[in-house]
Amino acid sequence: MNRPGEEKLKHLFRPGSIGRFKTKNMVKYGACCVSNYNGRDGFITPRELARVRVIASTGCGIITNQGAYPDPLGEGKAYFRQVAIFDDKFIPQFETIAGYIHDAGAVAIQQILHAGRYGGIDLGYCIQPSVVPQTLPHFRPPRELTKEQIKAIVAQHADAARRAIRAGFDGTEVTSFMGYLLANFNSRFTNQRSDEYGGSVENRGRFMRELIDAVKQATPDSPMLIRLNAAELMDRWGGNSEDECFELMQQAVDCGVDMISVTVGWQEAPESSFGRDVSPGHWNHLSAKAKRLFPKTAIAFGNRLPDPVMADQCIRDGVFDYWEVCRPLLADPELIHKAAEDRLNEVRPCIGSLNCLSRLFRDLPYTCTMNPVLGHEVEPEYAITPAVEKKRIMVIGAGPAGMEAAITARKRGHEVTVFEKSAHIGGNLAAYAANDLARPEDLRSVIDYYRVMADKLGIEVRLNTEANAKFMRSVLHQYDVCLVAAGARTDLGAFRYLEGAELLVDALEVAHGRIKPGHRVVMVGGGMIGLTIAESLTKAGHEVVVVEEEKRVAGDVMPTFKWRHTAWVDELGIRTLTSSRLVKVTSEGATVKNAKGEESFVAADTVLVSSPRKANHDLFHEFQWMVDELHGAGDAVIARGLDAAIHEGYRMGVRI
Amino acid sequence: MANAFGDLSAWQAMLDRHAELFSEMSAGSRVGFVSRSESGVTPGKHVAGLMAAKGAGDMMAWERRETGMQTSLEDYAGFQDARVDLLFVAEDEALAAMREALSGEALGMIKRLIRKGGIMFYVMKNKYQLQDAGYEEFLESLGLSFLGACR
Ligand SMILES: Cc1cc2nc3c(=O)[nH]c(=O)nc-3n(C[C@H](O)[C@H](O)[C@H](O)COP(=O)(O)OP(=O)(O)OC[C@H]3O[C@@H](n4cnc5c(N)ncnc54)[C@H](O)[C@@H]3O)c2cc1C
Ligand SMILES: Cc1cc2nc3c(=O)[nH]c(=O)nc-3n(C[C@H](O)[C@H](O)[C@H](O)COP(=O)(O)O)c2cc1C
Ligand code: SF4
Repeated sequence: MNRPGEEKLKHLFRPGSIGRFKTKNMVKYGACCVSNYNGRDGFITPRELARVRVIASTGCGIITNQGAYPDPLGEGKAYFRQVAIFDDKFIPQFETIAGYIHDAGAVAIQQILHAGRYGGIDLGYCIQPSVVPQTLPHFRPPRELTKEQIKAIVAQHADAARRAIRAGFDGTEVTSFMGYLLANFNSRFTNQRSDEYGGSVENRGRFMRELIDAVKQATPDSPMLIRLNAAELMDRWGGNSEDECFELMQQAVDCGVDMISVTVGWQEAPESSFGRDVSPGHWNHLSAKAKRLFPKTAIAFGNRLPDPVMADQCIRDGVFDYWEVCRPLLADPELIHKAAEDRLNEVRPCIGSLNCLSRLFRDLPYTCTMNPVLGHEVEPEYAITPAVEKKRIMVIGAGPAGMEAAITARKRGHEVTVFEKSAHIGGNLAAYAANDLARPEDLRSVIDYYRVMADKLGIEVRLNTEANAKFMRSVLHQYDVCLVAAGARTDLGAFRYLEGAELLVDALEVAHGRIKPGHRVVMVGGGMIGLTIAESLTKAGHEVVVVEEEKRVAGDVMPTFKWRHTAWVDELGIRTLTSSRLVKVTSEGATVKNAKGEESFVAADTVLVSSPRKANHDLFHEFQWMVDELHGAGDAVIARGLDAAIHEGYRMGVRI
Repeated sequence: MANAFGDLSAWQAMLDRHAELFSEMSAGSRVGFVSRSESGVTPGKHVAGLMAAKGAGDMMAWERRETGMQTSLEDYAGFQDARVDLLFVAEDEALAAMREALSGEALGMIKRLIRKGGIMFYVMKNKYQLQDAGYEEFLESLGLSFLGACR
């Protein structure tokens, strides 16, 4: 312990042990890496290997490699491009991965993931203890397992574990995360069998006990870890109660597992387990209970616990032994090193957007809103390398796109100045944070990160400076490159022929706190911006009616978050008029026409417009002949969202 | 009240009012509603126990015919025999709330009840089959496709 942060977070950075292996600290990289980067045949690709190299060097004491499916048919395969471990032919690739992890001084654990109810992705069915139909259309219709099949699956897990150890891994982990096969046996929701594998908790746990025995016999000298739910959040519909979950953990402990990774939730549960709306530390009590009940078994936990300082305290207070981190390390693979070096203010935060998982469930490779490099580690074009020719770069706009570009370009040695017309950085992200009902502090932490990095890297940010043609003339020939990251604006012009158009108010002005609306508000546009503002106004006591031209609201919201907005709209009692458009505005309110051509009047003191949006293209035209290189990024190119802004900003930064 | 769903003509009127949600559906597409208590599932057992509860109750079916979505009452003999694409299993209070809301925002009510866990729903077809059968609009209106995995 000789780095300054290690002394401060001494519980996190103390050495530990698992089985016969020593760990350099108490951090476990949680299997957060089902990536969809691999071959359809289960072989690992160079893209995956490059990603795993980054994972290996995160500084964690234990690294869990992504869940591999153990059966040749692919009944256990949950994702199109998931890694397989059902045959010796895969061993060389696992050897490479184990090598990366050992080179980085970590203990290497291979996860075995049989997806059960969520498997059979290439097949027309999935297998389960009982035929319990799906509640999510993404998954396959179920078939019931015979006892012979159960025995075969247990043997496949043991073979997979043996293979992982032969490949050089130190131990294995079997996951039941969010409703995979192991959870299907354990849970009353999916296990309706009447033989010795179903019924009582004792019987439902039989599959798990056989699995643990088989894996331990196959790999007697290697630690075996298991991921088990402490709460399924499915109790109302017949899932396990919390007590049953802990009884099952007890069985695993009695079978001699070396570590329990405590998880929460079920993919079909009606409530979030680790979305943006769950506050950090929310589920800690479950891991504390596991620690209390099973003092002799190592407990790993980290579900929605992104902060190393909190984790350090939890270890001190006996909430868990190992901090199991997943998404925070996707957003910033340097997190542990920054914590060790007492540079936590430089951490690029995970904002819980769940872009990563949204993409997996759309059969796409995972990416991260906050980390544009994730998934592109294999491409040299994404690496930050010293610029051959150092340039003087002006960035117009201090929103996410501009700041991301500025930081990246500066790291490459360019000289960067950011010009921002408002009095602060953050752009529309600041307005988003000011109105967000989920976790505004997470969004604000992104802006804080940009501020810290700009300071640290010596990026000059000139606030209250609007870039326009006159301004450009004043700085002519002082810059080699101009990057327009001026965002998008509300297109009030789209309503110019509407009666009463002069009464319309730009919703962004309200979002930024520059205008206060009246008590009764009509919000034109029910996309992410209109809804966020409508929700925040309603919470503050306004009466809001949302008018949306499309058939549904939330059309541009991230798939995993749409439900959250529609639930808020319901809970807050926000009236929505869909398939409707504005036809007239007066000082009394708005007249709206629906798809059938029927007009209705909505009384309102203020009519706000959040849609359509228009990219700020004007500057491109104005500056075209004034600077050597002219580029654009983020909403200034096409009005989209945070992901595109951050990713494009970064890509410009590494390219210029 | 003869059955858990009450007056079917009120349901029919509600479906007629929302005809546009079903306009893209192919003929023969079917949705079923069963009441959890009428289905004979014993307390403590969850809805998958419906399998064992042969012929214990009624199912309200909504079937897409030439003229639109039609309601009817059928014997319920387990989900495997129900010939439905989606099956909704509702708690008694949820059913009562739905009946109350039939003349107003019934679909909004169903959506809320699904979120709160008062109605459980099962899909007998996968996403692509449902899309091909024209379910997208209806599912979206109930917020079902929003209930994506892992939250
Ligand atoms: C209420 C609200 C809710 C939102 N919800 C979501 C969501 O759920 N998901 C999502 O992905 N996105 C959401 N967004 C959108 C997201 O914030 C934007 O897409 C993102 O901020 C775009 O980043 P950007 O850097 O391209 O542009 P901006 O953030 O708009 O930044 C542009 C900056 O340029 C400055 N500027 C403009 N013209 C000039 C000029 N001539 N000279 C100098 N400076 C100039 C502006 O002042 C601003 O600071 C939301 C936005 C709002 C307001
Ligand atoms: C992209 C992604 C992939 C994941 N893959 C796995 C996996 O392979 N096996 C597993 O048990 N859990 C997996 N998880 C769950 C995580 O290990 C972790 O439990 C969850 O993300 C909550 O922890 P966090 O709040 O630190 O992210 C994955 C999560 C994400 C976001
Ligand atoms: S995509 Fe979102 S939730 Fe996933 S790691 Fe990145 S910031 Fe976190």
